[in-house]
Amino acid sequence: MEPNRTALPFREFSHRISLIFMLTLAAALLLLGRAETYVFDRARQVVTDLAAPLLEVASRPVAATRRLIERTDEYAYVFDENERLRAENARLLAWKEEALKLQAKVARYEALLNVQVDPSIEYVSGRVVSDSGGPFIDTVLVNVGREQGVRSGLAVIDSDGLVGRIVATGPKASRVLLLTDLNSRIPVVVEPAQYKAILAGDNTEWPTLEYLATQSAVSAGDRVVTSGDGGLIPAGIPVGLVIQTSDGELRVQTFSDRGRLDFVRVLQYEFPSQVRRQDPPELLRGDADSESVEAAE
Amino acid sequence: MAKLEPYSPTPAARAGRVVLTVMPFVIGIICVLLSFVPFGRIFGSALVPAFPLMAIYYWAIVRPEMFPPLAVFTVGVLFDLLSGGEIGLWGFVYVVTYAVIVPQRVIVVNAPFSAFWIGFALAAAFAGALAWIVVSIIHGMLVPPASVIKHMAVTVAVFPLFVMLFGRIERRVLQRG
Repeated sequence: MEPNRTALPFREFSHRISLIFMLTLAAALLLLGRAETYVFDRARQVVTDLAAPLLEVASRPVAATRRLIERTDEYAYVFDENERLRAENARLLAWKEEALKLQAKVARYEALLNVQVDPSIEYVSGRVVSDSGGPFIDTVLVNVGREQGVRSGLAVIDSDGLVGRIVATGPKASRVLLLTDLNSRIPVVVEPAQYKAILAGDNTEWPTLEYLATQSAVSAGDRVVTSGDGGLIPAGIPVGLVIQTSDGELRVQTFSDRGRLDFVRVLQYEFPSQVRRQDPPELLRGDADSESVEAAE
Repeated sequence: MAKLEPYSPTPAARAGRVVLTVMPFVIGIICVLLSFVPFGRIFGSALVPAFPLMAIYYWAIVRPEMFPPLAVFTVGVLFDLLSGGEIGLWGFVYVVTYAVIVPQRVIVVNAPFSAFWIGFALAAAFAGALAWIVVSIIHGMLVPPASVIKHMAVTVAVFPLFVMLFGRIERRVLQRG
């Protein structure tokens, strides 16, 4: 029993010393971490890349369970859903006619004005493999990284609209800063009057609209899309709808659902700063040819 | 105070001790990884409990000698590295919470489960409040606290499940040790 008597106080003493040391180290790290040094970024990248495959494996059963629940829900409401889709289809067919007419009109105007049409945007698809894991952070990891051509600043969308943008990349995984995060700022316009604003996350479900001109008449139900200002995110990506909270504040309900993120697209957008003058589209070229023929005659 | 096992030089006992020392630490790291698995997606919610806090509280009360401050710090920093938030935030919050819990353990160590659970609710409230204060100072504004309140409420709600799990693991390993 003799060794135990001396071991106990010694253990307690070393435990206490180690606790004080760790407290100091943790406080120091908290202060040093603010400096955002290269070492921390590198460590973060390494840990993220190591954890991403594990999280991907772990997220598969979660996704499968969710699909199962959704499928069960769909079976339960299949008749109602069918009715709703029929009605929607009829409505959309009318819209399709309208859209085709408008498309032809826009193409003609663009041709007449020789508008520099944005080059088509390429994208890379990936899966969201992790949740943010903390109450003050709204970021997720996606399983595509530098090897797939993903880099910081690129916009991330899903089938509903803008999800966020890439803030860090590793070789195989990247971190997406969601619209609701405290650090998220996205230049947007509020349609239909095209009021410019900055969509700012504040750690709540609904981001706010900052720098909105005082005379702008924005009301609940207005559509918010990206403005493309700054050249980082392409213009016109749907973001959400303006809503009015119970305290009268205007906020934005995003189209993409934070709780249901699964497959996303990372847009490999390049700001068209050096676009060559384009040839007029064929639509006009045909006219030009016939005009030149007429002139020759 | 939990009884310490007398030191035994036999290799088998030594191996058992290594397992005992490493096990809570491994559980802590698994808890960090679990925090990033998007369980909330099943229910269409982004809420995930603070799994590492449950592990830290459990081992700090039941066997603090097996979950040293170094393990708490490592678990917290690993969480910070993975979460993409401020480096050191949860490392700091968890170490301070641990330092507050350990001297109080005599109150709940042999008390009924309800006291253990209430103790955890207090620890979660403390950790949440401390994290909220630190984040608010860092951002220079009062960060909306709703998300941290929900996060800690979910954590307290699922805690009994994990106590059962941790207890089972502890007994299993202790029997072998």
